[in-house]
Amino acid sequence: MTVETKLAPIRKGLLEFLVLKIVGAHSVYVADILRRLAGTEFATQEGTLYPLLSKLRREDLVLYEWQESDAGPPRKYYRLTEAGKAQLAALDDYWNLINRTIADLGT
Amino acid sequence: MQRISVTVTLNRSTLQFDEAGFQRLEQYLADARRTLEGNPDRDEILTDLEQAVADQCTRRLAVGSTTVTLAELAPALEEIGPVQAPGATASTPAGASRPLQQVSEGALISGVCLGLARYFGLNVTLLRIATVLLLLATGGGMILVYIALMLLMPYAPRERGGQPLGKIPAKSRSLVEFIRAKLGVAAA
Repeated sequence: MTVETKLAPIRKGLLEFLVLKIVGAHSVYVADILRRLAGTEFATQEGTLYPLLSKLRREDLVLYEWQESDAGPPRKYYRLTEAGKAQLAALDDYWNLINRTIADLGT
Repeated sequence: MQRISVTVTLNRSTLQFDEAGFQRLEQYLADARRTLEGNPDRDEILTDLEQAVADQCTRRLAVGSTTVTLAELAPALEEIGPVQAPGATASTPAGASRPLQQVSEGALISGVCLGLARYFGLNVTLLRIATVLLLLATGGGMILVYIALMLLMPYAPRERGGQPLGKIPAKSRSLVEFIRAKLGVAAA
């Protein structure tokens, strides 16, 4: 098993956390999220992002509102709900904990 | 005779597709629909995707041209990527551990053969024929093996929004669950 195949599920699992982080920083629409992740190890596609955002909305972590755009049809702008902010904070804490654990082990 | 173009409404946009483009688009949306089977947000996701396809194609259309062909659609779909259900692994790699379970959907009796076929990656029809042949060869003894497997193998969870069960699979499933409950009581 190559390193790449071991890391793929980790990246996949982290995507939700990262999307919450991006949505938490600014109100964004899908192209903003794609652009923010493009060029990182977490580059993703609309085919993945739309189902994920729908799931987050169903879990009441994000909500969206329609906003007119200069070019083309109106867009959905996503932002975090209070529950979303709480979950993002919890995930952030846990992520820091994991990082500390990893750093401590093997020393 | 050939259709020159097909007018397609994608969410809020209306676009012309040539025949090849139209077929490719239909296939993409059908695949997406299948992947999202049972997802409560399916219709919403499909609407979002339709809009994404429309936006991408519009952006790629050369100035003055009105008909979307594969030249625009293929790279557009490439960029949007196949639909992936959140939480699901992209594809189950061969040899990944699948539980040995009876499968009620599409079963003939209880789903033992279907479950075994899925577990071992065999053709279910061939497995059923082999079972019947064994039944004849063992003078009916195979029935006991089938009943034992029926009682022992857990049932795969029903797919959400899946097809309704046939009469026999539904009956045998409730019978097995009844017997298991009785045995559970007896053991306790």
